[in-house]
Amino acid sequence: MTNDLLGLLVVIPLATSLATVALVRRPVPQRILGLVSLCSMLVLALSWLVRIRDGEVMVSQMGAWPAPFGITLVFDSLSGLLLCAGLLVTIACYVHGFSMVEPSTERRYFHPLMQLLIVGVNQSFLTGDLFNLFVAFEIMLMASYGLLAIGRTRRQMTQAYKYLLLNLVASTVFVITAGLVYGMTGTLNIADLARFVADRSNAGVPLPTGFTGLSVMLLVVFGLKGAFFPLWFWLPDTYHTCPISIAALFSGLLTKVGVYAVLRTFPLVFAAGDARDVVLPILAVSAGATMLLGVLGAVSQHNVRRILAVHVISQVGYMVFGISMMTTVGLAGALYYMIQHMVVKSSLFLCCGVMERHAGSDDLDEIGGLLKRHRWLGVAFFVAALSLVGVPPLSGFFGKLVIIRAGWTANWWLSAIGLVTGWLTLLSMLKIWTQGFWSPESGPRMNRGGDASGRVRCLRAAHTGIGILVVAAVLIGLAAEPIYDIAFHAAEQLTDPTTYIRAVDPLAAGSVLTASGGGG
Amino acid sequence: MTTVLAICVAVLVTVSVYLMLSRELKSVAMGVFALGHGANLSIIAMSGSPVLADGGLRNPPILGVADLVDPLPQALILTAIVINFAVMGFLLTLLIVTARRTGTINVDELATEDRPDGGRAGGDR
Repeated sequence: MTNDLLGLLVVIPLATSLATVALVRRPVPQRILGLVSLCSMLVLALSWLVRIRDGEVMVSQMGAWPAPFGITLVFDSLSGLLLCAGLLVTIACYVHGFSMVEPSTERRYFHPLMQLLIVGVNQSFLTGDLFNLFVAFEIMLMASYGLLAIGRTRRQMTQAYKYLLLNLVASTVFVITAGLVYGMTGTLNIADLARFVADRSNAGVPLPTGFTGLSVMLLVVFGLKGAFFPLWFWLPDTYHTCPISIAALFSGLLTKVGVYAVLRTFPLVFAAGDARDVVLPILAVSAGATMLLGVLGAVSQHNVRRILAVHVISQVGYMVFGISMMTTVGLAGALYYMIQHMVVKSSLFLCCGVMERHAGSDDLDEIGGLLKRHRWLGVAFFVAALSLVGVPPLSGFFGKLVIIRAGWTANWWLSAIGLVTGWLTLLSMLKIWTQGFWSPESGPRMNRGGDASGRVRCLRAAHTGIGILVVAAVLIGLAAEPIYDIAFHAAEQLTDPTTYIRAVDPLAAGSVLTASGGGG
Repeated sequence: MTTVLAICVAVLVTVSVYLMLSRELKSVAMGVFALGHGANLSIIAMSGSPVLADGGLRNPPILGVADLVDPLPQALILTAIVINFAVMGFLLTLLIVTARRTGTINVDELATEDRPDGGRAGGDR
């Protein structure tokens, strides 16, 4: 169905960002404006998600140019779920930031940059065009560079370069690949590309020479953004320097956009024909290494922030594992896991922010006894940590269950690694729990006394942010079935692209739809 | 024409890789800049020569109109140039701020700067 309002999800944050620039000296109107914008987008996205719960696809052709010529925005189950989860996480982190981000930092264009980040993220989820995906990535990255260096402390300055330069190189490779894709296939629209690939495989014509090379180049680009195995080294250093609310937002959104790009383009287009035999083993090995090395890295760390940051990597491994099977169940599991991970991981980071504020440090040696003084923080952390580990009725359990069961027949060794990783995750979470919350109160908590007293300002906003996400994490676990149903529709549309192509590209649909079920 | 472009791309990428391996962030920034140009030129090279061997013009594959050069690669490059330009502006600004705050833009010195006791007095360079 056509829905020309889809552009609103990009226009609202863009307009808000411009408006907040004008109000940059006045924090309260900026906060209200930002919250109104985020909440209205969440309401829009949720209402559309309810409308397409039976697996329909909403399409908006920009400027009424039909599909392969103009830019298409697509709101299907995949992008809808991720948009809702992303906006929910953003609202929580944003509210958390009201009490956590220093006023001087807030005045340095914190609000406009947040909105710009959402422009990029929403556009990446919505766009149906490969080059537009590049543009969306760039908008998102520009905003994230700004947020990373916001506050301009020395550590941020020195660590920002790693992230900045790596992403610049990755973006350049993305441009080259997009150009080559156009040269090879004559189109950049993802649905049209899927049609191209499906036509070829139905007719038995091999794909153009070098198509596999394109797949691998794209895999490198998305893998770097998503922190897959050999390309994850930038992540821990970046996430522990910036303000904690921003780190929480990054952990929830940025890597997931990379994973989303793989989830969108590979099953539809780039894992077809010969490329399939190259890409799937790479993904499988990368998934195993990401899960295991990520969690080992987390176990070896001794700072709460670093443990959580390295955990982001290990969790990405589960999603890649689900994708690497390229079956409907595997993809649905990966998608469900992404949703719950965005919520749970961000809530852990938000808890970590409050812990730091109370204890004056995030070094596990220096904090302790938090449970006695801050019982609800302990409860929130406990629930979120167990969701991450995957204890049933909480959300992580269902994601892991689907992925590991689906993987047992395809790649039993990956499932085994997944189980070991889950166990090690429990170990690292227990480390934070026992040393941070359960241990007797340790002395050195006053070592930052001077500035700590001034810094424990009103934390109500921070607690609200944590509350939103923890409640959402529990609800995702309790309402696993409806969410999984939508994820399953999304996965069906990825493995059988007919619906997607027909919705986006009705002109070209005739060629492929006579022999449905192509797409490799 | 495509050969000339291919050589240009090769030279640009070589230079940029050499620059990016330098320890000075200024050179790294220039390397990234050169890599962006290399990417843009490679898209032009990929789109092929607009003039065919028989003297006619290459038709754009998606529009199917004669007597027009395919405008899409140019549009892609134009977008990429603008984005590259913006990112470069940000990178250079960050370099200036870093130099002001830490007094150096050398990667090795910044790495020692990162240690808690390795900080040195800031100052303009």
